[in-house]
Amino acid sequence: MLVPTLEHYLLIAAVIFSIGIFGVLFRRNAITLFMSIELMLNAVNLTFIAFSKYRADLDGHVFSFFIMAVAAAEAAVGLALIIHIFRHFRRVDVDDVSELKF
Amino acid sequence: MSPETILFYVFAFGALVTSGCVVFMRNPLMSALALIVDFFFFAGLYVLLSAHFMAVIQILVYGGAIMVLFMFIIMLLNLKDHELEQVKITSVHQVLAVVAAASFCGMVAFQISGMFDHEAIQKARAEHVQNMKDANDPHLFRPAIQSKVGHLAADFSEDALQKSYHAQLSRIDAGDYTDLDAKFPRDQRVKPKLPPVFKGLDHRGSPLPKLGQSSKATKINFGTAESVSVLLVNRFVIPFELTAILLLAAIVGAVIIAKKRL
Repeated sequence: MLVPTLEHYLLIAAVIFSIGIFGVLFRRNAITLFMSIELMLNAVNLTFIAFSKYRADLDGHVFSFFIMAVAAAEAAVGLALIIHIFRHFRRVDVDDVSELKF
Repeated sequence: MSPETILFYVFAFGALVTSGCVVFMRNPLMSALALIVDFFFFAGLYVLLSAHFMAVIQILVYGGAIMVLFMFIIMLLNLKDHELEQVKITSVHQVLAVVAAASFCGMVAFQISGMFDHEAIQKARAEHVQNMKDANDPHLFRPAIQSKVGHLAADFSEDALQKSYHAQLSRIDAGDYTDLDAKFPRDQRVKPKLPPVFKGLDHRGSPLPKLGQSSKATKINFGTAESVSVLLVNRFVIPFELTAILLLAAIVGAVIIAKKRL
């Protein structure tokens, strides 16, 4: 129980993923919301790498490499969107951006 | 208690606390700083999982590039204190957010904690440890992929992990693709080819010069830049090239969205 095994890593990844879900659903500041998404992506990476070690299989590393590339692209586009939202509303509250809702 | 165990708990605790800080801090600047520290703790966990290359990339890409971008935007927007939201429950939707996150966490944590003393998993682990002791010949050594319990392997020590990885490589080198066929049944016609550097040869087939005591002829290790990059330009070469297109599209998209007028 004390020596870290696969389950310990999975448990931590799951808790951090839930913290990320909480941040995405709870916060209204668009920048914090994006940071919560990064947190979720990182938790998934941790799961991939933990399984990768416990199967002696490097495919998980490659997958988390691609996830990092996608996260970088997502951060660039998302932050550009945030700048645009800020120019329009003079603040970055996601509740303002509800034109496409319903 | 071994140093790895202590370090694991330090990194895990740090990652959890800083993740909480990211979500609960009112000022996005504080969240971003907490997130940078969090990424370093994650990198520490990756090192404990023998993912050395991924740990370096984590710090370079996440801690460096992405977080600089975040900090830059936060400084650029320069939100005043009264423009920031209060982190407290003010609507039904936020109550539901708490419920959703808590129930997801509870559900997954319950499932995972069931693994801790699952009989079949413990048995497979014990078997695997015994196999590792028995087989010193790398060609006989069967890795975790053969495990019966839902592909869940045994507990690898660093030594056993490298041994298992080297065994896989030498089987591929010898033309035995049973591990890969078990993993990717649709992929049977495309056989991966290990680069000559694995055998201590350069691209022309002549032996590489030996550097000190360690030579290239010894097999490369699990989780290093070398072993991951071999996969990236071998089996995963098409997704790797598509990533370049994705990043180009992201650059163009970011410029078009953020520009006032084109």
